[in-house]
Amino acid sequence: MIRFTIVLVVLIFLASVLQRYIPPIIWLKGSAILLAPVILFYGCLTLPFPHVLALTFFTGLINDLLTVPLTPESNFSIGTSILLLLIPALIMHGFSSTFLRGRWFTNFMLAELAAILTPFLLLAQYGIISFERRAFFYNDVIMWRILGPGVIAIVISPCVFLVLAYLSDLLRYEPQRERPRQG
Amino acid sequence: MRGTSIAALITFVVLVAVVLVLPAGCKQQWQAAFLQTVSPIFQATSALTHGLGGVSGGFKRLDELEKENRELRTENAELRTSNSMLKNLQSEVNRLNRALGFRERSPFNLLPAHVISRENAAWWNSCTIDRGSADGVAIDMAVVTEAGLVGKIVNVSKNAAVVLLVSDEGLKVSVSIEGTQEQGIISGTRASSNYAPDLRVGFISKTAEVKPGMKVFTSGTGGVFPSGVLVGTVKGFAIKELEGVAAVEPAVDLTRVEDLFVITGTR
Repeated sequence: MIRFTIVLVVLIFLASVLQRYIPPIIWLKGSAILLAPVILFYGCLTLPFPHVLALTFFTGLINDLLTVPLTPESNFSIGTSILLLLIPALIMHGFSSTFLRGRWFTNFMLAELAAILTPFLLLAQYGIISFERRAFFYNDVIMWRILGPGVIAIVISPCVFLVLAYLSDLLRYEPQRERPRQG
Repeated sequence: MRGTSIAALITFVVLVAVVLVLPAGCKQQWQAAFLQTVSPIFQATSALTHGLGGVSGGFKRLDELEKENRELRTENAELRTSNSMLKNLQSEVNRLNRALGFRERSPFNLLPAHVISRENAAWWNSCTIDRGSADGVAIDMAVVTEAGLVGKIVNVSKNAAVVLLVSDEGLKVSVSIEGTQEQGIISGTRASSNYAPDLRVGFISKTAEVKPGMKVFTSGTGGVFPSGVLVGTVKGFAIKELEGVAAVEPAVDLTRVEDLFVITGTR
C-alpha cells in the first residue's frame, strides 16, 4: 500500500511538471490538459483515508508551488488548493467501496465522475480570485478555461484509470474496503 | 472512524493551517527552494521539447518541399532540404543578431535568459527562466525582449526565476500613450486566451484622443520598469462610466517568447 501511494505521489509530481509542457487546446479556447487531478482521484478510490489526505495535501501544495506566482499583490495564498482539492477528493473517496466491487461499468462511470470533478479546482480558484479582486466577469473563454479540462478528462480519465489499475496489479497492491467499526 | 483516520485528519488540518498562516516571505522562500529543486527537470524537459519541436519543424519543411517538388517537378529534393535548413539557420542567426544588437544599443545592463518552462495555469500568466540569483537576478527586475516589455521577476532561486508576464491580470504597469499626454495603468485580462493575450490600459481621461495604432510605452512611474520600453499597440478605445479604457495588443508574442533579457541595471 505504501509503495503504491509513493508511486502515485511520484506520478502526480511528474504529471504536474508535464502539464506545463502540454500546449493548451486552441479549439477549446486554450483549455489545459490536467492529468494530476485524475491520478489523485484514482488514489482516492483505492487508498485508505489517511493516504487520501496525504495525497490531497501533496497534490494541492505542488499545484500551488508550481502555478501561483507570489507577489505582494497576490490574492491567492499558497496552500488554498489543498482545501479546494479536499472536496472532490472526499467525494471520490466516498465511492471507494463501489469502486472496489470491481464491476467494469461502475468503474468506468467513476472514471467519468473523476473527469467531471477535474474542473472543480479551477472553478473554485476562479471564484476566489474574482472575490478577492472584486471583479466578477464571465465569458466563453472563462467557461472553457474551467470546463475544458473536464471535457478533455472525459476522454483521458478512463485510460489513466486503466493504466493505474495495471500498475496497482504490477505492484501487487490489492485495495481493501474499509470496514465499519464494530459495536 | 478509526484512530488512525482521526490522527491523520488532525495532522492534515494542522499542516494545512501551518501552510496557510505562514507569512508571504516564508512561502516565497519555499517556492524559491522548490523552484531550485525542479529547475534541472525544467531545463531537461525544455531541451527535450525544443529538440522535438525541431524534428516536427523538419517534417513540416519536408512536406512543404514535397509540395514544391510536385509543382515545379524540376528541383532536386535533397538540394531543397539543405537549402531550407540553411534558411532556417540564417533566420536563427538573424534573430540572435537582432538580440545582440538590441543588447549593445540598449542603455540598460541586459542579462540574456532563456524560457525553460511556461505556465499553463488558467488564471495566472508566468514563465520560468534559466537565470537566478547566481546570475544577479533579483525580485522586481524588469524583463524585456528587443520587441518590448515581457514582465517582471516575482521569484528567484539560485539558478532559475519566475517571470510574471505583462498579460497577467495581477501585474500593473504605469504607461504613457505615444502622441498624447495620457498616462494610465496597463494590465492583462483574466479572460484573454493564452494564444492571443489582450492588455487593457485603464485610468485614461474620457476626453483623450487615443486612436488605434498608437504605441504604448512604460512611463517609469513606480520605479520597477524603466521608462520608454514599448508595451504594445492600441487596438481600440472605449469610454466607460468613469474612465477611458484602451485595448492593447502586446508588442511581444508572449506565447512564443523564448529568448529574453533581464534588466539588471543601467549603464
